[in-house]
Amino acid sequence: MRNFEHLQATSIAGAVAALTRFGGKARLNAGGTDLFGLLKDQYLPGFPDSIINIKGIQGLDAIGEERGTVTVGALAKLSELSRSHLLAERFPALVQAAGAVASPQIRNVATVGGNLCQDVRCAYYRYPSHVGGAIGCARKGNGPCLAVRGDNRYHAVLGGRKCYAVCPSDTAVALAALDASLVVAGPEGERRIGVAEFYTPLGNRLERGEMVVRIEIPTSSLPHQRFAKFALRRPIDFAIVSVAVAASVTDGVCTEARIALGAVAPGPVRAGEAESFLRGKRLTPEHATRAAELALSGAKPLSRNGYKVAIAKTLVKRALLGEAAGGAGEYADVGLDR
Amino acid sequence: MVNGSEVDFGIGTEEHQVPPSETLADTLRERLGLTGTKVTCDNGACGTCTVLMDGKAVLSCMTLTVECGGRRVVTIEGLRDPLTGALDPIQQAFIDEGAFQCGFCTPGIIMSAKALLLENGAPTEEEVKEGLSGNFCRCITHYQVVRAVMAAAQGGE
Repeated sequence: MRNFEHLQATSIAGAVAALTRFGGKARLNAGGTDLFGLLKDQYLPGFPDSIINIKGIQGLDAIGEERGTVTVGALAKLSELSRSHLLAERFPALVQAAGAVASPQIRNVATVGGNLCQDVRCAYYRYPSHVGGAIGCARKGNGPCLAVRGDNRYHAVLGGRKCYAVCPSDTAVALAALDASLVVAGPEGERRIGVAEFYTPLGNRLERGEMVVRIEIPTSSLPHQRFAKFALRRPIDFAIVSVAVAASVTDGVCTEARIALGAVAPGPVRAGEAESFLRGKRLTPEHATRAAELALSGAKPLSRNGYKVAIAKTLVKRALLGEAAGGAGEYADVGLDR
Repeated sequence: MVNGSEVDFGIGTEEHQVPPSETLADTLRERLGLTGTKVTCDNGACGTCTVLMDGKAVLSCMTLTVECGGRRVVTIEGLRDPLTGALDPIQQAFIDEGAFQCGFCTPGIIMSAKALLLENGAPTEEEVKEGLSGNFCRCITHYQVVRAVMAAAQGGE
């Protein structure tokens, strides 16, 4: 790895000040599991002058509840989310999503803030510079999106614009279904962004000098929750499609449902039409199928990723029907063999 | 602390100093000669560089040495009893079950197994599989590996 200056931040203000001082030439390091890909492969033009270690910021990994809101610090590790009794009780979909990420070793260091802010996995975008040079593309602002006419098997079927890479985060999908917000700290103070609104086709809404400091989840959420992820191998692999469902069901009738789709668009996508369709309906296979159709009605697949639409519909249906059977919180491991 | 011994490096780019960009895997292998820890993908996906940090399995290729101050690192070399030289029960179980072929991934697998058994002394077969899911083996030793870890867990009770 090329060398860089290494800074220790001990407070949010210190990290923000360092980020601002380096004006875009610094990167934050928490778990490092995404950052090291950038540092080793150098797929972006320029190399960070400085790496700011934020692991030493006290209290930024706390998980707690206060007046109707559960707060998860940005430095909380994915393994801590998986083990949290509070989260298991309130937000099983988030616990399942955190446990579905990568491998035990990565979950031991990777943080939820980093999981939400991680860079996309597009193979053109991440092509390493030491194998013939990094590839220019729309996301880097120096070329067209090569996936449009190239290999787009793992790219967006919804909402792509200029760049068709998808948001790879599992926790973002669960958090979008739970109506969670990110709290972002910057030179101007703090601001809140809904998780579903955080992502843009070319990146996210973080401005220069800003960092995610915590996640806020309203506890009014719905008791029947499920996160389902389709990947070719269960460990390590990023989702080809993921779905999170949060619903409340009384006597078999759905009073409210929230559905978020992951890895199909630049960010997690709420399926608003399907959600309103389900309100007041029994969760029968027919209604679940109809909801799945509605959830994907806007899909515009590229040349080689139409299969993702079929998988997404199946996951929506299964996640909904898993709930109808009353089972809240089982990690749906939907492999190719089922 | 690496395998129970205090290790102290200056940070910088001078001779004998550790540059900030050096990974723990490189420090262990190139500076300390602890070549039991392997590096395969160097990208966090294969698990061969797994070591224990404060008792938890982490990937040494995705860890900066400069950020390891005050932490306790254990590598495969640190598992045997320092006084008697006796192998860790997991290492012995791997030998007894023949749980390796080429052996390149084995140190990483054993360190993941060690972390698992430190946290959960009596895992189910499913928990063993989940605990080792971040370690890949191209020789397909998985069946023997699961048997070895189960045997080590039961032997320890």
